[in-house]
Amino acid sequence: MTNVPVSRIRNFSIIAHIDHGKSTLADRLLQDTGTVSNREMKEQFLDNMELERERGITIKLQAARMNYTALDGQEYVLNLIDTPGHVDFSYEVSRSLLACEGALLVVDASQGVEAQTLANVYLALESNLEIIPVLNKIDLPGAEPERVRAEIEEIIGLDCSGAILTSAKQGIGIQEILESVVLLVPPPRDTIDEPLRALIFDSYYDSYRGVIVYFRVMDGSVKRGDKVRLMASGKEYVIDELGILSPTQIEVDELHAGEVGYFAASIKAVGDARVGDTITLVSKPAAKPLDGYAEAKPMVFCGLFPTDADQYPELREALDKLRLNDAALQYEPETSSAMGFGFRCGFLGLLHMEIVQERLEREYDLDLITTAPSVVYRVTDNHGTQSYIDNPSTLPDPNHRQKIEEPYVKLEMITPEEYVGTLMELCQNRRGEFKDMKYLTKGRTTVIYEMPLAEVVTDFFDRMKSNTRGYASMEYQPIGYRENNLVKLDLMINGDPVDALAMIVHRDKAYNVGRAMTEKLKELIPRHQFKVPIQAAIGSKIIASENIPALRKDVLAKCYGGDISRKKKLLQKQAKGKKRMKSVGTVDVPQEAFMAVLKLNKDT
Amino acid sequence: MTLTASDAHIIPHDSSATWLPTAAYIHIPFCRRRCYYCDFPVFVVGDRHNGASSGNIQLYIERLATEIANQINYHRPLETIFFGGGTPSLLTVAQLGQILDLLAAKFGIANDAEISMEIDPGTFDLAQLQGYLQAGVNRVSIGVQAFQDNLLQLCGRSHTVGDIYAAVDLIQQGGVTNWSLDLISGLPQQSIENWVASLESAIALKPHHISCYDLIVEAQTPFAKQYQPGDKPLPSDETTAQMYRTAQQILSGAGYAHYEISNYAKPGSQCRHNLTYWQNRPYYAFGMGAASNLENYRFTRPRKTQEYYQWIADGCNWRVDLTPAADRFLETLMLGLRLSRGVSLKSIESEFGIDRVNSLLKCLQRDRDRGWVEIVIVNDGNSRSERLCQRYLRLSDPEGLLFSNVVLTEIFSQEF
Repeated sequence: MTNVPVSRIRNFSIIAHIDHGKSTLADRLLQDTGTVSNREMKEQFLDNMELERERGITIKLQAARMNYTALDGQEYVLNLIDTPGHVDFSYEVSRSLLACEGALLVVDASQGVEAQTLANVYLALESNLEIIPVLNKIDLPGAEPERVRAEIEEIIGLDCSGAILTSAKQGIGIQEILESVVLLVPPPRDTIDEPLRALIFDSYYDSYRGVIVYFRVMDGSVKRGDKVRLMASGKEYVIDELGILSPTQIEVDELHAGEVGYFAASIKAVGDARVGDTITLVSKPAAKPLDGYAEAKPMVFCGLFPTDADQYPELREALDKLRLNDAALQYEPETSSAMGFGFRCGFLGLLHMEIVQERLEREYDLDLITTAPSVVYRVTDNHGTQSYIDNPSTLPDPNHRQKIEEPYVKLEMITPEEYVGTLMELCQNRRGEFKDMKYLTKGRTTVIYEMPLAEVVTDFFDRMKSNTRGYASMEYQPIGYRENNLVKLDLMINGDPVDALAMIVHRDKAYNVGRAMTEKLKELIPRHQFKVPIQAAIGSKIIASENIPALRKDVLAKCYGGDISRKKKLLQKQAKGKKRMKSVGTVDVPQEAFMAVLKLNKDT
Repeated sequence: MTLTASDAHIIPHDSSATWLPTAAYIHIPFCRRRCYYCDFPVFVVGDRHNGASSGNIQLYIERLATEIANQINYHRPLETIFFGGGTPSLLTVAQLGQILDLLAAKFGIANDAEISMEIDPGTFDLAQLQGYLQAGVNRVSIGVQAFQDNLLQLCGRSHTVGDIYAAVDLIQQGGVTNWSLDLISGLPQQSIENWVASLESAIALKPHHISCYDLIVEAQTPFAKQYQPGDKPLPSDETTAQMYRTAQQILSGAGYAHYEISNYAKPGSQCRHNLTYWQNRPYYAFGMGAASNLENYRFTRPRKTQEYYQWIADGCNWRVDLTPAADRFLETLMLGLRLSRGVSLKSIESEFGIDRVNSLLKCLQRDRDRGWVEIVIVNDGNSRSERLCQRYLRLSDPEGLLFSNVVLTEIFSQEF
């Protein structure tokens, strides 16, 4: 028993844009409440994946329970529930917000509100959370708390007169935050006597104990040894281990309404205990689950192929293992004439895709070739039957289909005023439809477009960042399918169509994309001992072509004075590049070529 | 000097003759100017080098002496010595003699040793040349590069065609019995006709040995800033490949055997020192930027003067990176396949094992099919049985040699 009265529990999360100091602030809170001693303190305690630390972002959320004696002399339990900071994971964000009664809105006082922050604040407002504005990094010379305060008031309509000024780095304002959480965040409803309902807001796979489920008890209470049912999956488990996160796991016997904790129950994969599912007792089940459960749907697909065909079984094993821990990851076997055996994988978004690829290469030591990302098209055949196509090479021929529809998103960007023009041009080039523009505060503008998702997943984010010198931020929401004049563009290398390079593009852009692709492939594919034609075609019509001239020689004339180290390095580098190539007929194609569409120089 | 107890352990009990170094490379990093294609460690002393630069050279030789003194002695007399640069002919006879005396005192020099020296037109006179010969030099290699004044100027050479002929006159007057001449193909504005003319001019001078280097545009040289390989005014790859084939035809026709990717020699005049490198045998090296290969440690000395001097002051440690067996196998092939004779399958089998040889032959099947790689039987020994055993793996001339990097990349991408 943890024995804390519901009235003295506060559950809150931190909403912040990447780099605005969320992790540093979380670290401070843990330190100042004595939850983690200075000695134990690793930088940014909550981000515990290597990858997260490197990128300075949070992917998987974590939680921490802190004991805090407030100025009123009472001891409170503060549960900080961390949220992932990226648009790909907005469903997970919404679930973790639902586990809270309040949120700290942390905004960098030298920068201002960003699109992603805004999206998460709206989610928090929808869940009726008490929002406490915090202006961070006030110690920086460029800090403008007044401007940012006005900006928050204007954009979000949130009273910022009481905004807390902090510097998490310098430890300024931490006490004030803790007091505000106690005073302003409402305690959970005391529903200890109702049937158990607990919300899963995260889970991860542990190879010894099975899935570790992070949850918030909304109603009732739960004990070790209880037999529980997950209401969406219908599966039942006996709780072997129950505990709190402080932030390391500490076992307890019972948790009740308002508390946050974890349990282990020999669950085999995170897909069996999905985020958003409701836990109840088998012996005394709740009448209905908590609202809003949804299964995360992959939005972006790509082919993953081992560079070395022998690694296919290892790739399968690695994906199986990753899925234990990533319910959103989807994959099925795919065979490509260029790449051999691999998997077609579905991801929540581009970041999710990158993370999975990187983990496969880093943690499982696989060498992978990735095809360019694709979205899911809805194709209607001549009989009116709809099907979903996530792989351009499987698109039915034009005479076997009635129409192709593609997913659209509503794209919201926040940018300094001077970049509005270039941003609109970018969106226009990406087949965006202008919807709205608002001047938020002096020099800050929000621009809203509706755009095919396919245009967003091909390096839109990087382009937006570079066109606005990193100042703009963006966020998008799916808004359904729309019919367009789409065609399949085939790329042929030395006369062989390469399935892994096929793409679905708008007819109006096909010529430009085809030309840019052939030019890029010419640049990326090394010269061979014969001339290699590169062609782009729609059906049987060639719309662009290039030739890679034949290699006439490749010889190193001299080894200087017996110094062979440089030549050896050169050969090793070339050999490494060669290993990562795939043969298309008799042509060696480097792995970058399969992502060429993301590297087209001009805006196409 | 005798082998000390601490040295003894590094010599294996079964030490074979080929394990012990008998070759020494000496780097003389001084030049009158830096040629536009050159990225060697050199120290520019100006067209008329004066007392101050002499002081620099003297200091360098003192440091070199320290390095030689510090070197472990494997007690085999040197069979080849090579003074490379830079421009070794900027040394006085006394300086050159001093270095040779040090080497002789330390290691001994075999009676029939090959002692080579690179010289540049316009940097020496007859007396100087005869002095070098008296000191022991018996082979010179002259940096000609081209027989067209405009081409020489474009690559920043400090001499003219007139200087070349004057230098060759001195070589002939001085009674040099073995000499070589360097040419470069692929220079800016060079045409096939220019190249043929250079080859014919070279042959007319009757050197014993000719090196033809296809220009490499090295990063960080003036050429790298000015030119893009394959783009004008550099000749196209197609043209330089043609220059390579032309050299092979013309020089073979004139009695020069193509014995290495870039080297041609009259019978009996192959450069014995350079063969040490290509046969992956050990060698000493002394001097700034010089690379040695001892006890399977390859080591390149610091390429900057002060760092090199510091390295000497710190005790001349070259046991830094031990070359693993798998890498030695690759090095043996990378070097041995430069030779038109190729590598002996028997000797790589005995050194690296039959499995490696088998997987090597397997991965080269495609290159054998397209005629770049050949396996030939070479009459090496006298007995019939030995002859049967001497199978050599080699690149075909000229096509296999022209694409040697493609073949080597194939080899390097295998796991051995």
